[in-house]
Amino acid sequence: MIPPPDSPEGAMLRFIRKRAVASLISLVGLIVMVFFLSRLTGDPAALFLPVEASAEMKAQFRELHGLNDPLLVQFARYVGDVVTGDFGESLRKARPALDVVLEAFTWTLWLALVTMTLVTGAAIVVGSLAAFRAGGFFDRLSSVISLLGASVPDFWVAIVAIVVFSVNLAWLPTSGTGSLLHWILPISVLFIRPFGIIVQVVRGSMIGALSSAYVKTARAKGVKSGPIIFVHALRNAMLPVITVIGDQAASLLNGAVIIETIFGFPGVGKLMIDSILQRDFNVVLAAILVTALAIFLMNLLIDLAYALLDPRIRH
Amino acid sequence: MKRILVLGALMLGSALSPAFAGSGPIKIVLAEEADLLEPCMATRSNIGRVIMQNVSETLTELDVRGDKGVMPRLAEKWEQNADGSWRFHLRQGVKFSDGTTFDAKDVKHSFDRIMSDKNACESRRYFGGMTVTPTVVDDFTIDFKADPVQPILPLLLSLVTIVPEETPLEFVREPIGTGPYKLTNWTPGQQIVLTGREDYWGAKPEVTEATYLFRADPSVRAAMVQAGEADLSPSISQLDATNPATDFSYLDSETVYLRIDHNIEPLNDVRVRRALNLAIDRQAFLGTLVPDSALLATAIVPPPTLGWNPDVKVFPYDPDGARTLLEEAKADGVKVDTPITIIARSANFPNVTEIMEAIQAQLQEVGFKVELKFVEVAEHEQYYSKPFKEGRGPQIVAAMHDNSKGDPSFSMFFKYATEGTQSGFSDPKVDDLIKRASAAVGDERAKLWSEVIAYVHDEVVADVLLFHMVGFSRVSERLDFKPTMATNGTLQLSEIKIK
Repeated sequence: MIPPPDSPEGAMLRFIRKRAVASLISLVGLIVMVFFLSRLTGDPAALFLPVEASAEMKAQFRELHGLNDPLLVQFARYVGDVVTGDFGESLRKARPALDVVLEAFTWTLWLALVTMTLVTGAAIVVGSLAAFRAGGFFDRLSSVISLLGASVPDFWVAIVAIVVFSVNLAWLPTSGTGSLLHWILPISVLFIRPFGIIVQVVRGSMIGALSSAYVKTARAKGVKSGPIIFVHALRNAMLPVITVIGDQAASLLNGAVIIETIFGFPGVGKLMIDSILQRDFNVVLAAILVTALAIFLMNLLIDLAYALLDPRIRH
Repeated sequence: MKRILVLGALMLGSALSPAFAGSGPIKIVLAEEADLLEPCMATRSNIGRVIMQNVSETLTELDVRGDKGVMPRLAEKWEQNADGSWRFHLRQGVKFSDGTTFDAKDVKHSFDRIMSDKNACESRRYFGGMTVTPTVVDDFTIDFKADPVQPILPLLLSLVTIVPEETPLEFVREPIGTGPYKLTNWTPGQQIVLTGREDYWGAKPEVTEATYLFRADPSVRAAMVQAGEADLSPSISQLDATNPATDFSYLDSETVYLRIDHNIEPLNDVRVRRALNLAIDRQAFLGTLVPDSALLATAIVPPPTLGWNPDVKVFPYDPDGARTLLEEAKADGVKVDTPITIIARSANFPNVTEIMEAIQAQLQEVGFKVELKFVEVAEHEQYYSKPFKEGRGPQIVAAMHDNSKGDPSFSMFFKYATEGTQSGFSDPKVDDLIKRASAAVGDERAKLWSEVIAYVHDEVVADVLLFHMVGFSRVSERLDFKPTMATNGTLQLSEIKIK
C-alpha cells in the first residue's frame, strides 16, 4: 500500500527519492570525470608492456583494447556496456573488472562493518561515561587515550603490533587472511583512530545534553544515572555523533590502504591505488562506482537514522 | 622430569626426521602479486618468479649459478644448419600437466602464440627487428629460421615458455606447462599454490608444494619468515637484514644510472657529461644510502654478463676536475648555467629520494644548477622513453635497469643505439658496434660487447652509471637456498633444498 503523500511515511519516501536522484547525478558526473581525466594521465600500453617494447607492440596493444579510438567513441562504448552490466575487463588481470572489484570490496565491507560496529559501541560507552563526570579521573584518562588514538600514525602502530603480538609473543598471525585470528590485528589497528575521534564527539555532545533542563528534571525526579545517560541524554546527543560515524565509515569503505598494504588484506583501497598506478581504467571506474554506491547507501542510512532519532526531521 | 621429556622429544624428533628430511611444502612471501599467470608473460618478474621453470618450461635455460651458458631444458641439443637456421632436438616422453604429450607442434604453437596479435604477450619484444619462422621437421625436431640470422637464438628461446598446442591465443588464467609443478590453487589477492607433479620428466624436487603469499611491506615479509609463517622472502629491506643466520645480500642484476639526454645544451657537450661523472662521489654512498655490498657500475649490465669489461674504470671523484671542465665548456660558449632537471621515480628503489638529493647537492657543489623532480611510474616512463617531448629543457632521467639474461644485447640496443627507445644520443660507431656484436658469436661477441661498453663509458660518456644494486633476502634455517642474480625474475623451486 502506498502511503498518502502528506503522511510522515510519504514525506520519508519523497525524501529518499530526492536523495537518490541527487546521488545518481553526482555518480554520473563522477564517472564522466574519472573516465576522461584518467585517460589524460598516461598510456596503459606503456605500463603494461616493458619499457623496451617496440612502438608496434604498443600500437597493437592499444588496438587490442580499443584505446586507439577517439575518446568520445570509447566513452559511448563504455556507457553502452555499463548499462548492460558489463564493466569491461581488467587489463592487468585479464578478468572482468567488476568481479575483481566486488571480490576486494567484500573484504573491505566486512572490515569496515566490524570495525565501525565495535568503534561505535565502545566510543559511546566510554564517551558517555567520561561526560557523566566531566573533569574526573576517567574523563581525563579517556581524553588522553582518545587523543593518542586520533593522532598516532596507523602504519607505525601496525608494524609495532606485528612485532609485539606476532613475532615476539607469537599470539597472532602477522598478516594475511584465512582464519578469524587474522582479523584481530587489522581491526584493532583500524579501530584506534575513529575510536579516538568519536569518543571526543560523544563526550562533547553528552556534556551538552547532560546539562540540559530535561536531564535536570529527570534527576530531580530521582531517575538513576544509568537511564539518564543511556536513555534520556544519549538519544539527544547522538545527532552529531552519527554524522562523524558516517564520515569515518565512508573513509573505511574507500579502503584502508595502509592497513591493507601492511597486513596483506585484499581490500578495495590497495586495488584502487594499484589500478590507478597501472592505468587499469576499467578497474578504477568499477571500483569508484562500487564504493560511491556504497557510500551513497550509507549516507541514506544515516539520514534515516537522523529521522528516526529526531522527529523534527521527520516532519 | 622436564629434562626427560625434552630428551624424549629430541629422540623422537631425530627418529622421525630421516623420513621427512629433504622434502616438504614451503611458503614464499613476495612483494608483488602475480596478477596474471600467463606463460607468455613469464618474462615479467612478478609472473616469472612464480611460473617460470616451475610450471612453464622453455627449450633452453641460462645457467646463472655457474658458467655453463645456455643449457638444455625441453630441447636436448641444438645445432646451426648451413643456412644459418637453428635445429632443436626435443626431449621425448615429456607430458604437460593436462596429460597431453609434448612435441614439436606445441613448440611451434607456443612461438606463434607469442607473435599473435590476439594478445599482448611480452616475450615478443625479444624478437623485434627479426622474422623468425618455426618449421616442424618431425615430432621431436623443429627448425627456427631467423632473418637476419640470429647467433643467440638458443638464448632467446630461454625466454619462450612452452604451452600445449590447444592453448587459445588469448590470455589464459590457468597455465598448463611441462614443469615440475602445476597450479592447484589461486585465490586472487591471497595466495597461489603450486603442487609437485608425479609425472614430471626430470628429477623430483625436494619442495613438494609451494604456497606464494604477497605482502607489499618489507618489514612484514621479514617478520613472516621470523615468525615461521613463511620460509623464504627473496626481498626484505636492508634495515631488517640483521640476522646473519637467515639474512644475506645478493647481486640482483639491477643497475641504477642517470640517463642523459644529449640532444639539449649543455648536455650535448662531452665535457659537461664528464663533469657530471666526476662530480659524484659514488663511494660515499656505499654503506650509507646504498647497501655496502653494492658494486660501483661501469656498464649498464652487471659483471656476470658476457663482455663485461674489467678494464673500464669507475670515474674518480674529482670535484676540481669537474669544475675545470665546466669552466672550459663555458669559455667555449656552452650554456653550463642552464638549470638541468633530474627526473626520478618515487619509490623506485630504497632511499631513492635521499640518493637523488645527495647527487643534486654534489652536482651543485661543482657549479651545476640542478632541479629534482619526482614522478610516479607512468609519468617517469614518458620522460624515459621516446618520443621525447618537444621544447624540453636539459633533462637527466634517473632509472634502474634490469638485465639478468647474461647477454648485453637485451640492454645495449634499447639504451644506446640511435633507434633505441631509451637512448639519449646517436653515434654511428655505437650503432655499428652493437649491430656487429649482436650478430657475432663466441669470443668475438664478448670482445665486441666489451668494446661497446668501453667506448660508451670512456669516449661518448653516454650516461652517469652509478650502482649495481644488491637485494636482501631472508631464508628460513630449514631451507638451503641462496638467491642469485636471476631470482628477481625466476625462482626455481627445484633449486631450493630442505635441510
